[in-house]
Amino acid sequence: MGVLVLVGTRKGLFLLDGIDDRRDWKLAGPYLTGWSIFHAVLDPRDGTIHAATNNEVYGATVHRSTDRGESWTRADELGLPKDTGLTLEKTWHVEPGREGEDGRLWLGAAPGVLFRTDDGGSTWQAVDGIVKHETRDRWNPGAGGMCCHSIALDPDERERMYVGISAAGVFRSEDSGETFVPANKGTAADFLPEPFPELGQCVHKVLVHPARPERLWQQNHCGVYRSDDRGETWERLEENGLPSGFGFPLALDHRDPDVAFVIPEDSSENRVTPNGRLGVYRTRDRGASWELLTDGLPQRAWASVMREGFGSDRLEPPGIYFGTQSGSLFVSPDAGETWLEAAGQLPPILSVEAAEWR
Amino acid sequence: MAVVLLPSLLAAEAGGRNRFELHAATVGDALQALPVANLVFDERGRLRTLVNVYVDGVDARDRDGLDTPLAGSEEIRLVAAIAGG
Repeated sequence: MGVLVLVGTRKGLFLLDGIDDRRDWKLAGPYLTGWSIFHAVLDPRDGTIHAATNNEVYGATVHRSTDRGESWTRADELGLPKDTGLTLEKTWHVEPGREGEDGRLWLGAAPGVLFRTDDGGSTWQAVDGIVKHETRDRWNPGAGGMCCHSIALDPDERERMYVGISAAGVFRSEDSGETFVPANKGTAADFLPEPFPELGQCVHKVLVHPARPERLWQQNHCGVYRSDDRGETWERLEENGLPSGFGFPLALDHRDPDVAFVIPEDSSENRVTPNGRLGVYRTRDRGASWELLTDGLPQRAWASVMREGFGSDRLEPPGIYFGTQSGSLFVSPDAGETWLEAAGQLPPILSVEAAEWR
Repeated sequence: MAVVLLPSLLAAEAGGRNRFELHAATVGDALQALPVANLVFDERGRLRTLVNVYVDGVDARDRDGLDTPLAGSEEIRLVAAIAGG
């Protein structure tokens, strides 16, 4: 078993093939030159690579490749209906559907919109449950625009899914995306007059644990959170070892729902790793305590990792992967215990995803 | 036939072709016939703001824009405005 790491950068997509024990890597690319790759993912159902691609001049789209990046096809139809009064600004995240949902993928985009395709990425339909959500006039853009960046599918309950939008919050659907309800109880919005509003939270990343799907983890503008009831309520977790509750990316250990990884930043006003060092923080007790992991990472660094820039594989032990705005791709082949720089001097890294291959 | 010339990124998206010969009544019609029309126009059919169009070396805005009629021998060149980083 090997691993393919998809590294989206401001200047195209790079692929790293992991051979042997995930300590030796072969770099290929860049692909899709001229495009900023906000996110790229390999669809485990058929091996197709899908990439959310953006260009300052030519706008936002999605590309896909069935030959590991050698050739690419662009979406034929992707846009917002005229009656919404909205136009597509950026594409942010592509989420493949579940096994058995042939051809279905989801796309999160700005301004706070969700699309679905049922033909493998050729034509995308706006999802009214988000695009025409009754609370939309209460949503506001964050620094990166009003981006729908997190799409999490419940692996067991096929009707249930979640999206995260900055700064609107987390929304849950129980009907395959037809309707969505806010799921933000207990998450803070310190920048609003009401500290715990129904919505308006600046969620930075939301993930569902694959082995315990009622458990969600969230990195927010205002803290790190865990929910054990499908987002009904959230518990704030950044005491006991985290230097800051502010950060963007989040990664999980597929084996253990009590484990999560974050890479905090100093603060909203100073968006670099705290104390001039680059470290990954891991909890193994549901967020009750956090430990700093630095073995193999640079001891002095002022780094930043984007919300899509953190990923994990599903091997034993899981590999953990993150990329920096400084163009370094770090890999831990042993669930965070040790790290190595698998690639450096890349363009600013926007996204990292890992996929297993045989 | 009018000739449309594409910059490199659009040519890559058009399968490697940077030159298209087209029968079209207007500049807008010629651009809509391109396989990269959805990169040149947004979903409302508006020309993207950072795409410049030159017809025989003259900015189409100084003519009738996308409504500029074509006699059939014009050279239409698409140029990306300087933007980004």
